[in-house]
Amino acid sequence: MLTLARKSPVQGTGHKSAHAAQAEAPASFLGSRVGIRGVLEVDGELVVGGHITGRIAAVRLVIAKGGLVEGDIVAREVVIAGQLNGRVFAPSVSIEDGAEVEGRIFHTNITVARGARVSGRMPWRPASYFETLTTLPEVRT
Amino acid sequence: MNLFGRNDKPGEARSGEVKVGDAPANDAKTGDIKTGEILDPAPPKPHAPQAMPMPATIDAAAKAPPSSTKPTPAKTGDVMASVISKALKITGELESTEDIQIDGQIEGDVRGVGVKIGQNARVKGTVYGDEVELAGTVEGRIESKKVTLSGTARMTGDVFHQDIKIESGAYINGSLKPDMGKPDSRASDSRADVKQASSKPASASIVTPAPKDNATATAHH
Repeated sequence: MLTLARKSPVQGTGHKSAHAAQAEAPASFLGSRVGIRGVLEVDGELVVGGHITGRIAAVRLVIAKGGLVEGDIVAREVVIAGQLNGRVFAPSVSIEDGAEVEGRIFHTNITVARGARVSGRMPWRPASYFETLTTLPEVRT
Repeated sequence: MNLFGRNDKPGEARSGEVKVGDAPANDAKTGDIKTGEILDPAPPKPHAPQAMPMPATIDAAAKAPPSSTKPTPAKTGDVMASVISKALKITGELESTEDIQIDGQIEGDVRGVGVKIGQNARVKGTVYGDEVELAGTVEGRIESKKVTLSGTARMTGDVFHQDIKIESGAYINGSLKPDMGKPDSRASDSRADVKQASSKPASASIVTPAPKDNATATAHH
């Protein structure tokens, strides 16, 4: 299992408590009428039904139908049923029926359902790539 | 450090990262989004399946696919309220037109309707809302018509409110200002008056045929 590295002492303590509570803690859920602009970091699952502009780091990310993410996603598993405009860095990616994806999807395993709209590249990377990757690659224009 | 590590070092900021307030280089669209528009995501679909009562068969068919991909937080109960769990940290601004439960960390402003800030939650920034229940920590400001500070609340900063409830044990370092929204409501009332005043004569002159009006007008002169 990939661990989430922490740097600052404040987050170190938060990390512990988050882990202790993770078993009973429900997944974060952002409803359709929630909009966020900024950086999201989750030690677990995040379900997006709303609109997020920014970077997301999660263990598992679900973009629900009606959800929209604009920005980069880094996760271990990504499920997209909504809209994505940006890049994905995840060993396991699943694009569901009805999804609209624009951008680049770096993956090791990917599923694309019939009915999904994908425009962009889907470069394969070995699993080790995701473990050693420390910063997101620059955007190529 | 690996891929999933938090990128906390300021020096590591990359152009690929999206920062609040500036548009990412690779995506022209995001630059157009203003905070007001965030609340209205383009597809209006999501509201429909929840709110509208539909015939059972169609309803079931329509609902089945999203529910399979969307693990609904069953614990939150009836309507799917948004939950920011303990594990979630947000750096940036959050806007919501529905109720929201915060148990994680937020650095930035929160705009909501009903905002519940849980015991272990931490918000650095201003919390705006119609109703704010605080059991956790806020460093910054609260601007809300109705504010509840529970016994575990820790509030550093000012509270702007109309109606406040403070339970024993709450820590407040800041001042309480009870004028929240009042100047606004007056302003909006007066605006409404102005609108009515201005719209009435205008509509009257448009709707009513000219001759009578002219007659009265000349009579006045």
